[in-house]
Amino acid sequence: MAQPILYHGEPNGASLTVLAALAETGLEIRCQRIDLLAGARHALPGVSEPLALDLGIEGEGPVLVSGGEAMTESVFLAQYLDELAGGCGLQPSDPFAHWDMLMWCRQITERLSPAAALLGNLAASQAVIAAIPEEHFAGVTASIVSDDLRARWQALHDGAVDAAQVADSEAKVAQAAARCEDRLADGREWLMGRFSIADLVTYSWLAGMELLRPEAFAETPLTRAWLARVAVRPCILAALAMASTPEPLKVWAPGPEINRWG
Amino acid sequence: MTDVTLYHWEPNANSGKPMLALMEKGVPFVSHYIDMLQFDQHKPEYLAINPQGTIPAMTHGSHVLTESTAIMEYVNAEFAGPDLMPADAQDRWRVRWWMKFMDQWLGPSFSMIGWSVFVGPRVRERDPEELAAAIERIPLPERRAAWRKAINGDFSAEELAESRRRVALGVAKLEIELGKRDYVGSDQYSLADINIFNSTYSLPISQPGLASREATPNIMRWLKRVYEREAVQKTWAMGKTDLAARYSLVMEGIV
Repeated sequence: MAQPILYHGEPNGASLTVLAALAETGLEIRCQRIDLLAGARHALPGVSEPLALDLGIEGEGPVLVSGGEAMTESVFLAQYLDELAGGCGLQPSDPFAHWDMLMWCRQITERLSPAAALLGNLAASQAVIAAIPEEHFAGVTASIVSDDLRARWQALHDGAVDAAQVADSEAKVAQAAARCEDRLADGREWLMGRFSIADLVTYSWLAGMELLRPEAFAETPLTRAWLARVAVRPCILAALAMASTPEPLKVWAPGPEINRWG
Repeated sequence: MTDVTLYHWEPNANSGKPMLALMEKGVPFVSHYIDMLQFDQHKPEYLAINPQGTIPAMTHGSHVLTESTAIMEYVNAEFAGPDLMPADAQDRWRVRWWMKFMDQWLGPSFSMIGWSVFVGPRVRERDPEELAAAIERIPLPERRAAWRKAINGDFSAEELAESRRRVALGVAKLEIELGKRDYVGSDQYSLADINIFNSTYSLPISQPGLASREATPNIMRWLKRVYEREAVQKTWAMGKTDLAARYSLVMEGIV
């Protein structure tokens, strides 16, 4: 059987979470960088079970192809890698602490990720996607199975900007920074006490926002200090070293959908 | 007796998930029925337990837990009894993937349809002033907006059409996947089955065009297998509205 391959974008957002988790586990899994903004994620070789790629919620996140199955969603991939390594400490063993981590990660992936992706893409991807020649763009969108992900590509291509969504996303980034600040108020080093997937996933979506919307962090000194601590963790350094660009935290690709209702 | 208390509505959708997980594990619990249609979840006595005013919530000793899928994972990890997660790491990933797919993509569409045809009309029979006051008590702004929309029947034709598209697509994918494995995402009964069952058991009656012996034999076989579990029977007996009883009849038809 073919060896598993982790297809990923530049180390930011969902790709950063999984690359850092992989580095933390020490597992030897082949990694291959793909050009997400060229639609490469929708033309991967060796995929016989495409469901999680076709209908993934996370948008243009990394894809681990194992046994022909396309595995997606960065938090679950981080959990998978941790468990495959026999538990390398990225998940608390106490059930209540584990529940707390899952709740935290869900807040991040459901509220912060779509907001950060929207702001990041408007700043970094819109021009790139708009510059794709029409004929090639039609080929890319035709290869995207998910209707709602295709719509997010199309909106970037069309230069559509929804001011209400931008304002809401900015508020959500500020809320995420404030939530971190509350968590860190008791002097803890990491969000869950011990370093965990919660630190990886939060850093992966927030670090780029500190560059893009520094005002959201003006009154969160503990969060800024925590971001700086995560930035020098060996697993993060290893993931960032896989970048092909000097500033990977400024590189974005279409992300998760903004909540439709409630 | 363990010191577990569950605050829940009907054995359905989100409330049904921890009820069924506790029942499968054989964990005794104190049941607090929260009547969603009477807005019990936004009353001070419940907000003292869960300030967000969402159901279900569970207390275990001094711990307060919310969010139905995360509660299920806690229940499975914390208590003895049958393991409701597969042992293989890739199967576990698949179980989690399906639960997220339901909770964040498919579920809200089921919910929008359910609220537009069931919750909204039921609640609209009440005094408008009382309703307005009830909405004001909802702590989360998103939930306040959601309830207002459901109560006023403000879903657009476009929104409802998109929800129906997603439900049809999700059901079609579930049918294909259940042809590959005995259960959702793996060959053993897991939290994913509990999760998906709680939102799909009513399909043969609510959406007979989508789920039927002819159209979706794998789903019907799976629904039957899950329905026959002792824990499901015991959980459904805890329902107070005619919801569960009504669907029991449908299930008898399948069986």
